[in-house]
Amino acid sequence: MLRIRDASVTFPASDGQDVHALDHVSLDIAPASIVVAVGASGCGKSTLLNAIAGFLPLSEGTITLDGQEIVAPGGDRGVVFQKDTLLPWANVLDNVALGLKYRGVSRGERHERSRHLLELVGLADFAEKPPYELSGGMRQRVGIARALATDPKILLMDEPFGALDSLTRETMQQLLASVWVKTGKQILFITHSIEEALTLGTTIVVMSPRPGRIVARFDADFVRDFAESGDIGPIQSHRRFIELRQEIRSLIHQPEGARTGTLQ
Amino acid sequence: MTLAANSPTSFPPATTQRRPSPRPRRAASASTFGISLVTLAGLIALWFLAARFGWASPLFLPSPADVLTQFSAVAADGYANGTLLDHTLASLGRIAAALGVGIFVGIPLGLLMGLNRWVKGIFSVPIDLYWGLPPLAYLPLLIIWLGIGETSKVVLLSLSTFAPICFAAQAGVRSVPVERINAALSLGASRLQLFTSIVLPSALPEILTGLKIAIGAGLSTLVAAELIAAQSGLGYMIMSAANFLATDVVFVGLIVIAILAFAFTSGMRWLEHRLIPWKGKL
Repeated sequence: MLRIRDASVTFPASDGQDVHALDHVSLDIAPASIVVAVGASGCGKSTLLNAIAGFLPLSEGTITLDGQEIVAPGGDRGVVFQKDTLLPWANVLDNVALGLKYRGVSRGERHERSRHLLELVGLADFAEKPPYELSGGMRQRVGIARALATDPKILLMDEPFGALDSLTRETMQQLLASVWVKTGKQILFITHSIEEALTLGTTIVVMSPRPGRIVARFDADFVRDFAESGDIGPIQSHRRFIELRQEIRSLIHQPEGARTGTLQ
Repeated sequence: MTLAANSPTSFPPATTQRRPSPRPRRAASASTFGISLVTLAGLIALWFLAARFGWASPLFLPSPADVLTQFSAVAADGYANGTLLDHTLASLGRIAAALGVGIFVGIPLGLLMGLNRWVKGIFSVPIDLYWGLPPLAYLPLLIIWLGIGETSKVVLLSLSTFAPICFAAQAGVRSVPVERINAALSLGASRLQLFTSIVLPSALPEILTGLKIAIGAGLSTLVAAELIAAQSGLGYMIMSAANFLATDVVFVGLIVIAILAFAFTSGMRWLEHRLIPWKGKL
């Protein structure tokens, strides 16, 4: 269980007006759930993820994972970045095995486990390739396999499919859904796409900027259907999906409109 | 890529169709090689013609045949207290010593300067100060301090190879993408593992670039140092020949230096190809 209590992150700005990237956010991520944070740019969703990953210190509040407070990056939280961070000098297999190598797992065992994960993400034939010979979507699959290799307690995904074309993106969403069904990992997923949030999330938290905070949360359960059918069409035309999409859309756009209103 | 719509348990493996072919790059480098070869042949032909038709006095431009004769004469009988091989080895020995100092002192110090604020603060000012000076300007000082023997020359050359390597190692550490570091940390890397598995290989392209610059700086400083104070070496041989207006021997010296420079460049290119085939790819 990941527990976020009153987490705030404040950046000092050059004009003396501090930027409240994250303002007293509280959130629980239960085992075997996919929590998707969705919101416009600057709403603090990436800041939240970076704080959980331990890349960014909190100004206030606490984050605990299974009762242990998070103070630094660690192997119990797997991170998948928007831009892939694979090592160009190592082949795909060794990239997946990197975390296991850090743990001192023997070469044979880490390669065996990594091959397994490459099969899970459909890249078994690419184990010996250097990452730069792979397409963007494939590289993200390697990134997911690498994050899963050390069997972390939670998977943190920072707009992992944001840089992909829409067709590849759909394939990747299906991959993630099926990986989630198979592994039952708890996942925090960051996106600015409402459709992606609804397709993948068991919980969707809507965030708004300046200061970054959670304005609403919804429960959804389209991801199981999606993992089973692999077809996004019927899900997105589901009545409840359309209602939720409309509601989240108006939540995301509302504060923006209200703010320009007060300025004028 | 096909999406298996009804198989939730096995994700469709990616097809192998997306395999970039290395052919276009190879074709490009092959075509420039041919052009360069023709240019070289043209220059040599021009030299032949100029000598053949007496466009310049042999005193200024000896014929290729003269240079070739002189080449074998210097190689066999020697010139200025040594054979061509003696002079070449003397020069190579100096540059090897200097590169050794540059590599074994410059790389560790540069890495430390990239990693630690204190080390950077202490060492960057003295290095910046001397690196701005022309080596020949402080050579007299080195001769006063260290004498006219090998020490002053090797120190001079070491100073000129050390700085570019040190700067490159430092820049290499700074150029490591922060996301790459974060990724390694979230995979559980210790500080030592972070350094050996991420920082060092990430800095390698910059370090090799620094090494290339150091070799260039070393070669130019080497010949200059041997022109001023030496009893052996290619620069010394050229200077002695020039004193007697033996232009053909000057040419021999220049050709050997050109060959050395070309060999170093090719060697570095080979090293880059072997060590960092991924440079600029990701």
